[in-house]
Amino acid sequence: MKRNWRKLVAAVSAGMVMTGMLAGCGSEKPAVGESSSVDGNSDDGNGSKKEVTLWHYFFDEEGKAIERVVELYNNSQDKIHITSTYISRDELMNQYTIGAVSGELPDIGMVDSPDMASYISLGVFEDIDDELQEWGELDKFYEGPLNSCRDSEGRLHGIPNNSNCLALVCNMDLLNAAGFDEPPTTWDEFREVARACTDPGNSVYGYAMCAIGNEEGTFQYIPWLYASGADVTTLDSPEAVKSMEFLGDLVSDGYMSKEVINWTQADALNAFAAGKAAMLESGTWHIALLDSDSMNVDFNYKYALLPKGEQNASVIGGENFGVCAGSEAKEECIDFLKFMMQPQNNADWCEIGGKLPVRSDAMELKDFWTEDERYAVFSETMNFAVARGPHESWPTISEAIYNAEQSVLLGEKSAADAMKEAASVVDPILKEVPIAE
Amino acid sequence: MKNKLSMASKKRLEGYGFIMPGFLYILLILGYPLVYNVILSFKDTNVKNFAKGTSTFIGVENYVKLFQDPTFQLVLKNTIVFTLACLVVQFTVGFLFAIFFSQKFTLSGPIRGLILVGYMMPMSVTAMIGKNIFGVSEGVINDLLLKIGFIHEPIEWLVNGGTALIAVIAVNCWVGIPFNMLLLTSGLTGISEDVYESASLDGANKVQRFFYITLPLMKSSILAVLMLGFIYTFKAFDLMFIMTSGGPLNATDVLGTYAYTLSFTKYEFSQGSAAAIVLFCCLFVVGLFYLRLISKEDD
Repeated sequence: MKRNWRKLVAAVSAGMVMTGMLAGCGSEKPAVGESSSVDGNSDDGNGSKKEVTLWHYFFDEEGKAIERVVELYNNSQDKIHITSTYISRDELMNQYTIGAVSGELPDIGMVDSPDMASYISLGVFEDIDDELQEWGELDKFYEGPLNSCRDSEGRLHGIPNNSNCLALVCNMDLLNAAGFDEPPTTWDEFREVARACTDPGNSVYGYAMCAIGNEEGTFQYIPWLYASGADVTTLDSPEAVKSMEFLGDLVSDGYMSKEVINWTQADALNAFAAGKAAMLESGTWHIALLDSDSMNVDFNYKYALLPKGEQNASVIGGENFGVCAGSEAKEECIDFLKFMMQPQNNADWCEIGGKLPVRSDAMELKDFWTEDERYAVFSETMNFAVARGPHESWPTISEAIYNAEQSVLLGEKSAADAMKEAASVVDPILKEVPIAE
Repeated sequence: MKNKLSMASKKRLEGYGFIMPGFLYILLILGYPLVYNVILSFKDTNVKNFAKGTSTFIGVENYVKLFQDPTFQLVLKNTIVFTLACLVVQFTVGFLFAIFFSQKFTLSGPIRGLILVGYMMPMSVTAMIGKNIFGVSEGVINDLLLKIGFIHEPIEWLVNGGTALIAVIAVNCWVGIPFNMLLLTSGLTGISEDVYESASLDGANKVQRFFYITLPLMKSSILAVLMLGFIYTFKAFDLMFIMTSGGPLNATDVLGTYAYTLSFTKYEFSQGSAAAIVLFCCLFVVGLFYLRLISKEDD
């Protein structure tokens, strides 16, 4: 009997090992990436500088941009020293969620704009509304990006850093060969071009996008939803169904690869750059990548607005920065955020990172965004691009949308059924807490 | 007499002293999160009330909701199909390999060592490789099948639900086969040559020797392998997380990945905990079953 008891204990502990992995990951430290700090250790001696930590998920061109502004700030004064740390996006998101429980957060954290509302609700970001109002420069910021930093009462918990949106990019060599001189402007034209450019023999598809089962998939679908005249509150409307049907038909007719349901936006860009797709739903940041040597693009391409349905539409993306709860250096953090978001710094940042500034006076500082006709397309798109949310339950809303999209593209459900199902998830959520205007 | 008793109790105290560090370790590192998880699963903690701290106890509602959720039903089915399929394949092939490589032939040792590479590779690496070899147009498997004329159109492995599940099962077996082989080999070598020798003297043929000597003598290793295999497979997480993210449309979502998604993507912390507890309970039952079998054997 006694031995059985001991074995029971052993079994319990064995079981604990298994679930412990799920619950106990809170104590894990994030993998620390490159630090931009040049003189991180030399400060130990004088101790007069206040250490402030910043976590972000920028790499490549964007990474250079953030490291540059951190260094500028560190050299501009001798009171505060910022140490920036790269953490992969998924891991960073986990760290915020875990940090909400354990309190282990950086001083300054970066977050993708549609996720901001959830983290504000989880208490990850401090209310810095008063300090930012005092600053007196908020009226220079565009409303859309700024709104994504607000809580349900309209108070700011962070500041937007950059914007991006989606447009259409066309492989003009393929389009010309198929007899088209210009990118399509309407859905009908778009379908026609996609059909004509599809070449199964060379495994070239007319169109590529990202329809992966995460936020990226929703991001890429939103422009089609809004172009049809619908929005997230009317997912089961005939217009919304039509937009989903339109994309579903592209796959069933063979103009778009079914594989898009596993493609990230980076994968879709790779397919386009390799000449395997004539058209791509492309983000602002893709321009810098297409220019980079590693892409090695050897064809002519042209950016254009996404084809117009009932109306022109696109979606806003971008990153926000906030001061994390429990930071002992709130003042210093806000000082840095203001510095980073000075018009000149924001303009420089966005030029290096291939993004769009979030303040109008930064946009005016350079003709970069109007002179380069590719960026000009995105600047124009910003006039009608819509934000996602802000809503604390956006991840659940988003899941309903990308699930619907995947089931239609895979041919498992009709567009009408899929959208009805999505609406049955989303409508009650939005009824309880509507999207803040 | 009195002296003897105190000696015994002293010895017993000493024994408790020895197990104390391990016991404390389990209590703190494993017990705390488990208890925390159980409590969380009976509350309604989510993104809305987390920071406000206004979550309340709602009893078994999370579990009821979970079992009524069609996605969870699919996830449970996936987990069971995945586990059983992996167990059958990796045990059968692993056993065959173990017997095959226990024969003494040239290079049997080195080749057996090479097979173990699959088991030693970090799962994240294996999953990345799996993702690549099951690619539609650039994957090795499709390329091979097309070249030998087995198929004429590339199979959309990770695009369609059914084939995606087959793909993750295949990759997991690649890891599981060496694991089974390793444990079963040690069981095989535990059987003395003398037993076989005397059996053949009595006129037992190879098949008889396998079924009447090898199998019965390996009963405890076989049970251990099956139970451990079950536990390792049932709690799978990293393979799906990296190879398919549980997709397409939850077709490869298992309890581990589903609990993670609930907690870390949708911030439904209590729902996620409930799913993790279901996972725990399944493994706990299997663990008890295993112990019962073992104690029977000992008696």
